[in-house]
Amino acid sequence: MTLAEAEVREGRLSYNRTIGVTAMFGRGLYYPVDVAYDRDDRLYVINRSSDADKRGVRITVMDFEEGYYGIFGEFGEEEGQFIWPTSIAVDREQRVFVSDDYMNRITVMSTSGELIGVWGEEGSGEGQLDGPNGLAFNDDNELLVVDHRNNRVQRFTPEGEYAGKFGSPGSAEGLLNMPWGISLCGNGDVLLADWGNNRIQRLTAEGEFVASYGTPGRGEGEFHRPASACIDDDGYIYVADWGNHRVQVLDGEGRFVQSLRGQATISKWSQEFLDTNVEEAAARSRANLELPVELFGGDPHEESSHIERFFWAPSAVKLIGGRLYVVDTCRHRIQVFDVAGSG
Amino acid sequence: MSTKEIQLMAHLMRRAGFGATREELDELAAQGYDETVELLLDTDNPSTMSLDLIRRYHPDHMGMMGIGAAASWMYRMISTDAPLREKVTLFWHGIFATGYTKLANGKVLHDQIRMFSKHGLGDFRTLLLELSKDPAMIVWLDNCENHNGAINENYGRELLELFSMGVGNYSEQDIKEASRAFTGWTIGNTEYMVLKSMRDSIWPYGRLSFHFEYKPEDHDNGEKEFLGRKGNFNGEDIIDIICEQPATARFISRHMYSFFVADEPPVPEWPYKPPRDPEAIEILSRAYFDSGYSIKEMLRTLFKSDFFKSESVRYERVKSPAELMAGVLKLTGEFPRPREEIIQTHMQSWFMGQHLLNPPSVEGWHWGTEWIDSGALVERVNFASERLGNLDSPGVAAMVDKVLSNGDGGVEPEELVDRALDQLSMSRVTDTTRESLVEFVEQSDKLGGSSGLPERERAAYALRLAAAAPEFQRA
Repeated sequence: MTLAEAEVREGRLSYNRTIGVTAMFGRGLYYPVDVAYDRDDRLYVINRSSDADKRGVRITVMDFEEGYYGIFGEFGEEEGQFIWPTSIAVDREQRVFVSDDYMNRITVMSTSGELIGVWGEEGSGEGQLDGPNGLAFNDDNELLVVDHRNNRVQRFTPEGEYAGKFGSPGSAEGLLNMPWGISLCGNGDVLLADWGNNRIQRLTAEGEFVASYGTPGRGEGEFHRPASACIDDDGYIYVADWGNHRVQVLDGEGRFVQSLRGQATISKWSQEFLDTNVEEAAARSRANLELPVELFGGDPHEESSHIERFFWAPSAVKLIGGRLYVVDTCRHRIQVFDVAGSG
Repeated sequence: MSTKEIQLMAHLMRRAGFGATREELDELAAQGYDETVELLLDTDNPSTMSLDLIRRYHPDHMGMMGIGAAASWMYRMISTDAPLREKVTLFWHGIFATGYTKLANGKVLHDQIRMFSKHGLGDFRTLLLELSKDPAMIVWLDNCENHNGAINENYGRELLELFSMGVGNYSEQDIKEASRAFTGWTIGNTEYMVLKSMRDSIWPYGRLSFHFEYKPEDHDNGEKEFLGRKGNFNGEDIIDIICEQPATARFISRHMYSFFVADEPPVPEWPYKPPRDPEAIEILSRAYFDSGYSIKEMLRTLFKSDFFKSESVRYERVKSPAELMAGVLKLTGEFPRPREEIIQTHMQSWFMGQHLLNPPSVEGWHWGTEWIDSGALVERVNFASERLGNLDSPGVAAMVDKVLSNGDGGVEPEELVDRALDQLSMSRVTDTTRESLVEFVEQSDKLGGSSGLPERERAAYALRLAAAAPEFQRA
């Protein structure tokens, strides 16, 4: 490995910016759990909201510059509404697909929020769902749905016709334990966040085992309940290590490359809040927000609850236009990183 | 197993936990009463619903900006195999009452509950020390405003009045001196954290958790005189002196008696009304000193005492809404995994008068018969009856199976009621209660015509009726 290559490895990700601000409704984010993008690089962010205040359930449409294009969707059981929206994907026809863990269905909408269709029913038979989570489209425009309580992945046409499945419960190679996020590799393989088994698995499109990355733990290359993973054109793998509240980068062989704890700064929308709430901004400027992590006994959850710039339950990682978008759920924002050698 | 043994075990599990299924009572009674007490006291490695699982389904239980943190606690109450730990946590939450209305931060309240869970069965000195360092308590009772040369007496006063000794056992000067000793005990970034709480601010990126900070430059290092002792006291010294007081032993013992044995009048009446069982208070006070202030040893003494086992104290406590709710949900088994319905379910306890993590004041809730007013009673009965009559719940379906499996079908109303009461571990009810329940079943049978209700619905109806009995509202 040359020095330049080593530098690329170690500095695979470099912080770019933070986008979003906490908002229970309207412009902003409230417990965001996933993001997708359309051909214009507009971002569609799912807000899961708080169970105690359902007003926050919605999809926020925004972009990298924090341009705001509105919201659509709301809490409810009617068609076009959501109870527990969990994942989002946009197909090549520019239709928005949202999985609802609670309602066991997929909702299809236009990019402006008009309802196109709803499909899916509860169960464990072929084509039935028990906790649809991660979504991803393959090259045939089939929707892969992580059917997490059935411990499998199912394929559907965009209209909801069943096209196949793979996966079964267990901890051996190729088996799954409450998987969450899914993404596609360049050759059609899938990367699955095998949440309950504390690992990322690479499987072929038919579900044959290819590789497994990570073991349970908090060290380098170890995971605690990973939620999402994606791979770039150079084969580097990015993992939302949800339970360790960090993002890890692995190389194509699964070797540890980089770990990020989060570097959030004040977003454009956040700055607007501080500019109009000067008393709070002044008190904030006098506070020490860079607390030593030693105060919190090595518990990353505690660290993240006290140190604002850290990730707190990152639920999704997505590569969009040469950048990595990390959905920082409990901090109601997205941290964006540049990927070395991209764009 | 004799009926008396089952009834005693049911009594123990109602008080030391949130009740038990009939099958659990059989298993526990088979291993013996004293062994069960030891099992209950062994709370070091509890198994409960996984926090990761809860947080995956409820991201807001991770971020905990709001009061939803209480719902996380409800999951623990109904899923734990160490119920005494949660019961003791509830006990301390009622005494060291700290509320969301002022803090506007679910995470710091959750941290306090976690502290009660960790130290609640340990020694009282450690518990008081942790309480004095608890960030939620520091903001709740303004110790962050308690400065060298400008004391704020709020925490010092409640430490003595409500948290350890009770009124009449110290002077106003003792309050001032205790407050001086706790100057400098505050939280980090006080100004920003308190301002965010006051404004209920979730901006820019949610809440920030609080952490304890000791500021020696703000501590009053002068000599103090407290409860007749002189010295350059800091907060730890004040707690040492408090723990040595017989008044503290009696105060904690009376709280313990009221929570685990039989309802006492509200705390403000204690200076004027003697304890219901002075001898029991003496026994518990002795255990307090003999064990070095150990709460676990006091409870061991309590659960093994004759005054606890006595039939005269059975059903002599009104269940708090949280206890009632946890007991019902444990029986119905409707939350085998996190479900969206937990928040609405948990809110029911608010309608019954107990909003966990948000007590009405630092005095906490008034327990006992004050839980029951006409509005609250309707909520309580409706909650228990609706849940325990719902055949879709796995626990109810299992109880109905048991009710029907004990006979050859066509169970007579009296037998049906007895079996339903048995499934709810209520084999000891008054004749009036039993006769009323039988009468309702008979009326229902008549109204249902010749075919009557289908067998399973009829059994579920009997469970629903039994859950409406006065005894079910009591522990």
